[in-house]
Amino acid sequence: MKAILTIFAGILISASHLFAQHDKIDVFPAAPYDRFIVYQNLIIFWIGIIGLIVIIALKLREITRIQKMGIDKEEKDIPILD
Amino acid sequence: MNCPRLKNWFSERYNFDEIRDLAKKKFVPNHKYEVWYYTGGITLFLFIIQFITGIVLSFYYIPYFEHAHKSIIEIVTKLNMGWFFRSLHHWGAQIAIVVLFIHVWSTLLLKAYRKPRELIWISGFILLGIAIFFGLSGYLLLWDERAFAAVRVATGGAGNLPVIGEFIKAFLRGGIDVTGDTLTRFYAFHVSVLPLITICLIGLHVLLVQYHGMSVPISVKKEKRTETPFFPNFVYKDLIIWLIVLGIVVTLATLAPPEIGKKADPLAPAPENIKPEWYFLFLFQTLKLFPGEILGMNGETIAILLISAGILFFVLIPFFDRKSQRDERSTLFTWIGIIYFLYFVIMTVIGFIS
Repeated sequence: MKAILTIFAGILISASHLFAQHDKIDVFPAAPYDRFIVYQNLIIFWIGIIGLIVIIALKLREITRIQKMGIDKEEKDIPILD
Repeated sequence: MNCPRLKNWFSERYNFDEIRDLAKKKFVPNHKYEVWYYTGGITLFLFIIQFITGIVLSFYYIPYFEHAHKSIIEIVTKLNMGWFFRSLHHWGAQIAIVVLFIHVWSTLLLKAYRKPRELIWISGFILLGIAIFFGLSGYLLLWDERAFAAVRVATGGAGNLPVIGEFIKAFLRGGIDVTGDTLTRFYAFHVSVLPLITICLIGLHVLLVQYHGMSVPISVKKEKRTETPFFPNFVYKDLIIWLIVLGIVVTLATLAPPEIGKKADPLAPAPENIKPEWYFLFLFQTLKLFPGEILGMNGETIAILLISAGILFFVLIPFFDRKSQRDERSTLFTWIGIIYFLYFVIMTVIGFIS
């Protein structure tokens, strides 16, 4: 009985501070499902960013390779087909 | 997508070859400090994010003191993705100011301000000041008790400047105290005056950078260097960094959305331990160092005068640093830059933890 009373008093004391605080405004979706969707989308977003970075890096490497070979410059006296 | 008729239509009217040739002629020097070149691009990118998210928020924000706080709560709690756009705008601003400070100090320590780039330095410094004023004006738009008290302190501080102080204070507040008039005034600054000046100054800043080309630090100027074409090499590298920055801003916006406090009450006492935004903390902490009265003069006025003199000296460094003008190493100004940096960091940290 003593233990139950102590637990009950503890819960009451810890819950009492909730009444003293002013209402906090939810600046983030409160529902667990909405939170899950947000975090899931954040991961998908990062996967997208990493994918784009890889594509740009590959493109950059190809450009550098072509520049090193010196075949990116236009020839001035190139014959025209027309 | 290939539209030959559309291409012809434009090429008959505009000479695109000239623009293409101009892009081809631009090169970026390669050296060990080239990483600092990217800070300017990152700032520009963050400014673009701020413009976009700011436009979205302005569709729903009500700049009237009775509705401002409620309209932000509605943006955050009722609008689809409203919380995200507000958080993105908040974190975009914070990171933009961090990167701006890094950009300014890297320019200072690499002596990129030296002749003939003095105007680039000055236009950049004005942009930093505008970014900070963007932060202050945007902070009040929240119209919660902390923002209200912080703006009251900041505008009150400006009022301590001799001769013009009272005018600046009254001009910023739109009256003798922070009221609803201050809110509408700050809203006008935040969404029309400051963006207009920013666009003009960014245009001038970028134009001058293109005109003078990238500055090479004095220490590596005599070394044999290679150059990278700006387009496409540098642009692609910029894109990669921008994507990483976007990822960081979005992650912070998702994981740490900014809180909204209680609605401002002009008659209520200021909340305890009130602090301004982090970029004002060094000023706030400096003001605390001064006693109320020094030799019969107002201590706060003396502090504001000293801070203004320090900032003015910082802006005019390109004109004082004669050695850099002659392309000689100027250790003195490197140390001055380091002292400024350490003072800013130490005072900000003390202000944060005290």
